[in-house]
Amino acid sequence: MQLFMQQLVNGVVLGATYGLVALGYTMVYGIVQLINFAHGEIFMLGGFGALFTYTVLLPSGTPVVLALILMLLGGMAVSVTAAVIMERFAYRPLRGAPRLAPLITALGVSIFLQELVRNFYPAKSPRPFPQLIPPDYLINLGGGVTINAPKLVTVIAAVVGMVALSTFVRRSRTGRAMQATAQDPDTARLMGIDTDRIIVTAFVLGASLAAVSGLSNGLQFGTVDPRMGALTGVKAFTAAVLGGIGNISGAVLGGFLLGIVEVMATQYAPSPLSGGAWANAWGFVVLILVLVFRPNGLLGERVAARA
Amino acid sequence: MTVLEATSVTKRFGGLVAVNDVSLTVSEGEVVGLIGPNGAGKTTFFNCLTGMETPTSGRVTFKGTPLRGRPDLILKAGVARTFQNIRLFPNMTAVENVIVGRHARTSAGVLSAIGRGPRYRREERESEEVARDLLAFVGLGHVRNELAKSLPYGDQRRLEIARALATEPGLLLLDEPTAGMNPNETAAAVSLVKKIQGRGIAVVLIEHDMRFVFGLCDRVAVLVQGEKLLEGTPAEVQSDERVIAAYLGKPPEDAGPKEKNP
Amino acid sequence: MSRDLSPKSLLGVAGAVATAVACFLPWSLYAGFPGKMLNTGFPGGARMYVLLLALAAVAVLLLDPPGRVRGMRGAAVWALVISLLTALLIGYAGGGLGKVAAGAWIAVAGSAALTASAYLLDSSSDRDRRVWSLPDADWRMPAEIVITLAMAGLALYVFVVGLGIPTSNVASGPDHTFRDAISLNDVTNGSEFLAFLFGIIGLFLVAGRIGLTASLGAITQRRRPALVTGATLAAIAFPFTQDGSPYALRIAASIGVFAAAAVGLNVVVGLAGLLDLGYIAFFGVGAYFAAIYSGSATSPIHVHLPFFLVIVLGALVAAVFGFVLGAPTLRLRGDYLAIVTLGFGEIFRISVNNLDGQSGPSLTNGPNGISNIPDLGLPGGFSFGDNHHLFGVPLPFQANYFFLEIVLVAAVMVAFLRLSDSRIGRAWVAIREDELAAAATGINTTRLKLLAFGLGATLAGAAGTVDAHVVKVAAPDSFTFIESTLLLAAVILGGMGTVPGALLGASVVYLLPEQLRFLHDLRLLVFGLVLILMMRLRPEGLVPSKRRQREFHERDDRSGALDPPPGAHA
Repeated sequence: MQLFMQQLVNGVVLGATYGLVALGYTMVYGIVQLINFAHGEIFMLGGFGALFTYTVLLPSGTPVVLALILMLLGGMAVSVTAAVIMERFAYRPLRGAPRLAPLITALGVSIFLQELVRNFYPAKSPRPFPQLIPPDYLINLGGGVTINAPKLVTVIAAVVGMVALSTFVRRSRTGRAMQATAQDPDTARLMGIDTDRIIVTAFVLGASLAAVSGLSNGLQFGTVDPRMGALTGVKAFTAAVLGGIGNISGAVLGGFLLGIVEVMATQYAPSPLSGGAWANAWGFVVLILVLVFRPNGLLGERVAARA
Repeated sequence: MTVLEATSVTKRFGGLVAVNDVSLTVSEGEVVGLIGPNGAGKTTFFNCLTGMETPTSGRVTFKGTPLRGRPDLILKAGVARTFQNIRLFPNMTAVENVIVGRHARTSAGVLSAIGRGPRYRREERESEEVARDLLAFVGLGHVRNELAKSLPYGDQRRLEIARALATEPGLLLLDEPTAGMNPNETAAAVSLVKKIQGRGIAVVLIEHDMRFVFGLCDRVAVLVQGEKLLEGTPAEVQSDERVIAAYLGKPPEDAGPKEKNP
Repeated sequence: MSRDLSPKSLLGVAGAVATAVACFLPWSLYAGFPGKMLNTGFPGGARMYVLLLALAAVAVLLLDPPGRVRGMRGAAVWALVISLLTALLIGYAGGGLGKVAAGAWIAVAGSAALTASAYLLDSSSDRDRRVWSLPDADWRMPAEIVITLAMAGLALYVFVVGLGIPTSNVASGPDHTFRDAISLNDVTNGSEFLAFLFGIIGLFLVAGRIGLTASLGAITQRRRPALVTGATLAAIAFPFTQDGSPYALRIAASIGVFAAAAVGLNVVVGLAGLLDLGYIAFFGVGAYFAAIYSGSATSPIHVHLPFFLVIVLGALVAAVFGFVLGAPTLRLRGDYLAIVTLGFGEIFRISVNNLDGQSGPSLTNGPNGISNIPDLGLPGGFSFGDNHHLFGVPLPFQANYFFLEIVLVAAVMVAFLRLSDSRIGRAWVAIREDELAAAATGINTTRLKLLAFGLGATLAGAAGTVDAHVVKVAAPDSFTFIESTLLLAAVILGGMGTVPGALLGASVVYLLPEQLRFLHDLRLLVFGLVLILMMRLRPEGLVPSKRRQREFHERDDRSGALDPPPGAHA
């Protein structure tokens, strides 16, 4: 039981990362029906932006809390800038084209960003990330179940980010405009909503959350790597689809579910299919099964065939 | 001989009853009009007949065999339709659109398409001939190789009819065949429907153009708020007060069901 | 329209003449820069492409075909780009701009004048592009056949030249960064390939803008048998141009496998419109099947099946995977299908990584893969591992595999072409265009989508079995997500739904990173950039199907603008 609870906690931590990144996929998809495959790279850039802020911009001896805040801002700045440039110059010109064209563009952007960081960010990979929150500081959750400080921070950051986002989307003027645009872009435009601005907003919000995730990921594992965005990106997109793409709560739910499934399968799947080697496969198996029985994801709405 | 027999067809969307206990019988070679205010459930009724929606309850038979399930099976049984908002294959040419209509009446599979034996070639030739004839029949012989999307609106409607006719239907359902047409085109549509009737094909059409409906149909059924108000000859329907009231909006409309328009 | 000889045009003529003359002068003051920059006389390397572009520009200017000014711009700009780039690189590699000979500067100045003239002229007076045809005379048919054969020859020539440009072969690894990468030698080697690439782009632009491409395309379409003969002859002739060198043959054979798989993917994506992001897994199923039953010592199953059986069985096994995956998932919306196929691809890769007897049953030899796959043999004692001499030309054993590839590609092409123009192919296109209307027209959409998916898997499986024998190894790293995306890129870059497009796309996607080796670790970066630019500038691909072209350019016809109207939604 203790082992099970411990694994549950580990799954939630993993799921927090997936969920945060998944929100970026789901928002952009909900509004422009684009699978932004480069979003994983935005997550990666967030990690590198934070690292750059720490190693280059911050004087040594900066208090930890201040350093963390500035690193987060630095990471967000990098992620958001990249996302806005990407939207403006790669995706926007293709908005009228069939959906395969932007998809290839997304893959191109993904390769480009990955290689850009790999070639031009100083020092070899994987790059060490400062362990500002000591990983050996364990918090007892009762019953022998523990979580270390960076992981706890990851979960807290994820929950705060998710709540902030859903509040923003439901309460703010811009958020409601986003919902309107997602429902029917043409009508939204007729109602005076600047849909271009709304789309950029979706990219910006997604990038900000990805940067949060990139920073917490670095704190958790102590390294960042230019290639880390690819797999996390695919997993996060899986999480978004699992929950029902376009649905914000769905992305969060899908993220946690995927994280828990991976961790649990690693522990409990029948040998020899358990263990880390198969972990990544289990997530996709669950995805396929969920979609077979709920073709629109867990919280996705039925898209009625129109006659 | 009875072609279509729909008995007590009901369709609910959640708590909303879009079609309520509607029955309709169509005989061979008959033209039946289906009229009613917007939101009366006419298109939903069509959707129930063609497998686009599954009726919540009720029974539909075509020439005695029950119609259930997928649109392609129902089409194969002999019920073809057009759409209110025209659904052609926009980037295919006119003749290609009609040839696609032959799909259910041809059989070439992957292997015979790759092998291209004599049977395959005969079938292709026949499909092309049928398509050519049908385009001429609806008056589109001159735009055979134009893209469907580049045709004028009225031609697109006729092309959709030609595609439906290529499936060799016993019953053709036309959803607002004259919507958006000018008087000349409407007149042409009248003679086209008559020509289709002349081929022994029964037609059910949804229409808002009353002159068109009353001039053309053998029988007219009126749908209001999902229910069949009455059915009769054009003369009977025209003179019925309830119909006039329904169109002028006398009965309470606030509780009326919304037609599921695309 | 009269041939205006305004000052603007005269500037262009003068520029072209200066450029052309400069191409016969030396461009470099030192030996060692590749592409023969030293001699006075017939030009080599970059100078050749600049000369061709300058001549093309001035010809378009004076002959005044439709699309005159825009065609001229295409040639002039790329002539300027090549001459300027080459001049700068000569200076860079020689240690200073003083090492650049006057010829290069004259060419730069001349092509700059040419470009200036092209942009000063008013492109709105261009007549619309049209399709030319030969006059209706007795000699028309033979002339068209000759033209068609010549086109095949030209394609072979371009291919051979492109592959023949030397590249450096320094290994790149994850730890290389920009600073320790590009050497002087790389720069100079790369310059010739870039000149070639830009030259082709420029000439292609001119031909396209004045309607030559469309006209030639129409002719070759009319002369199908000649086209097929010409293409076959060109493909067979290719190994004989290599003078016994295996390098280009190996690449060409790999392009062949890649192209066959791309054509298969084209059935799924191009015809049926299903987005498959795990296509490489079906290819991998075929490859692993062939590897396991090849008799290789590293295969845990020591059974050696004859190759013809392996192709058929490998394709069938892949088909089974396709149907099993497709049957429950093809009801899903398009983008969901994308992620499911992506997931399947990952499951496949992880599985072959783990089926090593420790993390799973022993089947694939884990991360090392099955290597040392023995050479194929034919029933008469012929081994694919033997070198040959034919017509006095040495043919390394790679040529045998190349010929096998030609057979495979030809078979896949025939299947694709015949399917696309058949009852089944039309139904696929109908589903792609409007699924609901297709169902209402009597098409069993689920069944036909499954058919497309399964058939794509079958073709991929067959290509995979051949691939295992060409590269002699089946390892998990060859079947990753990036490979699937590269295949998809090949299909889309080439032009969806067309066979020449898939071939060209496969060549570009395979060759470009190969020939960009001089950039070392930057090559993927540049490749990513090329993908983005390509979608920006020509989203319908290099050889679009007529249908696709209409789809993408419907707006141009109305507004004359390249970009969709603002706010148009995907």
